[in-house]
Amino acid sequence: MKRIAAALALAFAAACGNDPYPASDAASRVLYVPYAEAPKTLDPQVAYSVYDHEVIANLYETALEYHYLKRPFELIPALVEAVPEPQPRADGRIAYRFALRRGVRFAADPCFGLGTPGATQREVVAADWAFALQRIADPKVGSPVGATFAKIVGFSAFAERLAQLREREPGFAALRIDAQYARAGPVEGIATPDPWTLEIVLGEPYPQILYWFAMPFTSPVAWEAVAAYDGEAGRPRFAERAVGTGPYRIAEYAKRRRIALERNPTWWGVEHAGAGAPAAVYPIEGEPGDAEAGLLPDGVAGGPLPFLDRIEMRYEKELIPSFTKFAQGWYDRSKIPKESFDQAARGGTLSPEMQARGMRLDRTVMPGVYYVGFNMGDPVVGHAAGERGRKLRQAMSLAIDAPEFLRVFLNGRGIPAQSPVPPGLFGYDEHYRNPYRQVDLARARRLLAEAGYADGVDPATGRALRLTFDTGDPSVQARLRYEFLVAAWRRLGIDVEVAATSYNQFQEKVRRGAYQVFFWGWIADYPDPENFHFLLWSEMSQTRSGGPNSANFSDPRFDALFLDTRARANDAARLAGIRRMRALLEEERPWIEMFHPEDYSLSHAWLRLAKPSGMTMPVHKYWTVDPAARAAARAAWNQPVRWPAYALGALVVALLVPGVVTYLRERQ
Amino acid sequence: MLAYLLRRLAWGAVTVVGVLLFLFWLFFLYADPQDVARRALGEKAPPEAVAQWLANHGYDKPAVWNPAAPLDTRLADHLRRMLTFDFGKSDADDTPIAARLADGIGPTLSVTVPLLLLGLPLAVSLALLVAFFRETYIDRAGVVLSVLAMSVSILIYILGGQFLLGKVLRWFPISGFDPDPGVVLRFLALPVLVGLVSHLGSDVRFYRAVFLEESNRDYVRTARAKGASDARVMARHVLPNALIPVLTNVSLAIPFLFTGSLLLESFFGIPGLGSITVEAIHANDFATLRVMVYLGALLFVAAQVLTDVAYTLVDPRVRLG
Repeated sequence: MKRIAAALALAFAAACGNDPYPASDAASRVLYVPYAEAPKTLDPQVAYSVYDHEVIANLYETALEYHYLKRPFELIPALVEAVPEPQPRADGRIAYRFALRRGVRFAADPCFGLGTPGATQREVVAADWAFALQRIADPKVGSPVGATFAKIVGFSAFAERLAQLREREPGFAALRIDAQYARAGPVEGIATPDPWTLEIVLGEPYPQILYWFAMPFTSPVAWEAVAAYDGEAGRPRFAERAVGTGPYRIAEYAKRRRIALERNPTWWGVEHAGAGAPAAVYPIEGEPGDAEAGLLPDGVAGGPLPFLDRIEMRYEKELIPSFTKFAQGWYDRSKIPKESFDQAARGGTLSPEMQARGMRLDRTVMPGVYYVGFNMGDPVVGHAAGERGRKLRQAMSLAIDAPEFLRVFLNGRGIPAQSPVPPGLFGYDEHYRNPYRQVDLARARRLLAEAGYADGVDPATGRALRLTFDTGDPSVQARLRYEFLVAAWRRLGIDVEVAATSYNQFQEKVRRGAYQVFFWGWIADYPDPENFHFLLWSEMSQTRSGGPNSANFSDPRFDALFLDTRARANDAARLAGIRRMRALLEEERPWIEMFHPEDYSLSHAWLRLAKPSGMTMPVHKYWTVDPAARAAARAAWNQPVRWPAYALGALVVALLVPGVVTYLRERQ
Repeated sequence: MLAYLLRRLAWGAVTVVGVLLFLFWLFFLYADPQDVARRALGEKAPPEAVAQWLANHGYDKPAVWNPAAPLDTRLADHLRRMLTFDFGKSDADDTPIAARLADGIGPTLSVTVPLLLLGLPLAVSLALLVAFFRETYIDRAGVVLSVLAMSVSILIYILGGQFLLGKVLRWFPISGFDPDPGVVLRFLALPVLVGLVSHLGSDVRFYRAVFLEESNRDYVRTARAKGASDARVMARHVLPNALIPVLTNVSLAIPFLFTGSLLLESFFGIPGLGSITVEAIHANDFATLRVMVYLGALLFVAAQVLTDVAYTLVDPRVRLG
């Protein structure tokens, strides 16, 4: 019994203390960050979520990257020598030639023994890039961006050949993946004239293709890794086993507990830093204000990356415990839970207590837009209603108070949108005020009367004009948001009914074009206005082609401007075209632009060089921490309060002793 | 006894098949796999990617009847997978479900086993104590505290424990898990403590009632008449004879040893089977949910049969037949 009691006491002593990390980490340059969603996959050709990319961006690299500090975003060469220029061809096709950087190696992994017995590493060559693009085409891989890369000549034909071979030839699917692709034949528009050159040929002008070469989808992949990690016979799956070229490699991948990354000792940047390769060194210049913000300190600019020795990501599904750990110093950076928002960052500034602890509030406007859309295929609110429909849409737009919506539902985290293009992108004009996005009920009522709906009354029925607000989100939170909009329109006399169904029923309505008003959002894949304007291009009409133009907006003037601006570089003519599109949308009102979302993050003072980006891009290699400052703060903030334990023990004794004494006395 | 066991096993098998058919109706006929695909692939996924996902996961097959290949249906796949324990892949991220279960069982047992091993003796001891001091203020205080304790939601214990012991007093990490031997106890202390306290009220009250009922029996009076001390009577006579209700209570907890506590694991960030279930619910991961419900049913049936057998071991008067 004594031994058990002693063991329990020892165990309790070992259990006391709130430091969640082994003591050996205290002096290391380790970044501690929480993550709320486990990555679905580490397969770069498949991964699409922010959570996937947070990890993958450290493990795989791309041909191009975004400049870490400059805004608007600027492409810089990473695994290539230079950003390629488009080369128009006589047949109307456009070629891009990537000069690949030499000396880039995949991280060490036993899978390379498949190609060369005994090998654990090899250099990245052009064939690995071609292989990655073929994987995007491969229907079995299930890449979500196949449609985008179908602009490469012969891309879809390769996918069809591969699918046919798998279906028709017994045993084909069992061949090694590189053999399967070889049998299916090359993609016509992908060429590898030598091991250091990759050429892609597009069937139409699409300058935005370069942005896709800054996303993990196009990261080079070794066929050996895909072949070796097939999930069969106890082997891990490629989706869980990263073999990339990045500055970090996986030390532990227990994705529902901990993802630990350590420096990749054979990262190409180590060798190329001396030559100042842009993605291998810290930038020497940024945007105005960066120097004042401590992002260009002496001795760091131009220095070799990465700075951190290890990145510790801990799974924290619940935001409040995660935030508490951040406040205790156990995480270096954190999101702010809705429940703690007012306490932490009221009015967009950090609370005095947090400021006193040296914390920093980083605010970034995300490259996205949320909007209320009208189905332009609808006879009442759409194109068919002509001038009447246009004025109805304008009136409804004038009734919606976006700043109030942001205040009520998002703690003010966002900026009211005036047009589809968010801040930080070419074509955004911070001084522009959309006349239909300022609340003006008097004007709205006048427009409504001009549309033939005086006081919101539909002359056909003699009652309030009845519209439906269709949504695939029946949750209470969503309903509250939509009721805000409905209440605004009710002030004009319009009766809008929220029709909340399951997502699939909503999709079915969309397919049939049986919807009128809806709420939607879009976060950019890349920082170019084209990625927003294409949401209103008639070719992308949801009802007609299943594209993301959910408003089914179709205007030949807009289409012509879109195609013109899409193919242009960021020059004055492009800006003029974007302004003309904006004016057209301002008048036509297929959308009521609501807001551009804003991301709020908190950082401790010891986390340095962390500039918020809002885009999915490799950032951790630029960050650093001051372990000594962190250790001192943690020690000061986490002294346990012991007296309640002693008080509790005394209370138990005080309660029991008289009872026992009384009992014994009674028995005697 | 053998005939009884076979009969119980047969009924158990019927129950399990019933559960499987219910799961099929719920997850294959009532729920729409398109939702699952959308959730797995994201809102931006084009229709072709959704179709490919459905095909890759076998959701595009006929539900029950396929004249061309009668065994190539979703129902046949579902039954075959469950009965052969070949659980397939998660709908959320394609991870093999068996691997997830293997990863989750350790963290789950590291919480539930201490909960059982510490909770049972603690509850029994406290119940014996209040029964021993019956009709004194210790007994009355014990009953009042037990009723109070069992009236409070486990959520309050969890959030209160995290706030008080994790945030204010800073005795333990507020959440998380790390199997590193140097720190694992720190992570387990708070969830185990909260689990113990949250169950203590109902357990003490239940065991106290059992012990009091037993201590009023004739054989206890006889023992006392023979001069046995109160402590000896409680420990040597009352406790062994009250074991059947204790055993029933413990056997009901056995399935949860393996499936874990959904709330404890979820709030404390313990990557066990309970967390896996909660995540599967949030992520529309029907494949994992089906497996968790099925395993829960299997464990429940198994625990029931084992309890019946255990009755015969602790009480020679019990005969199964």
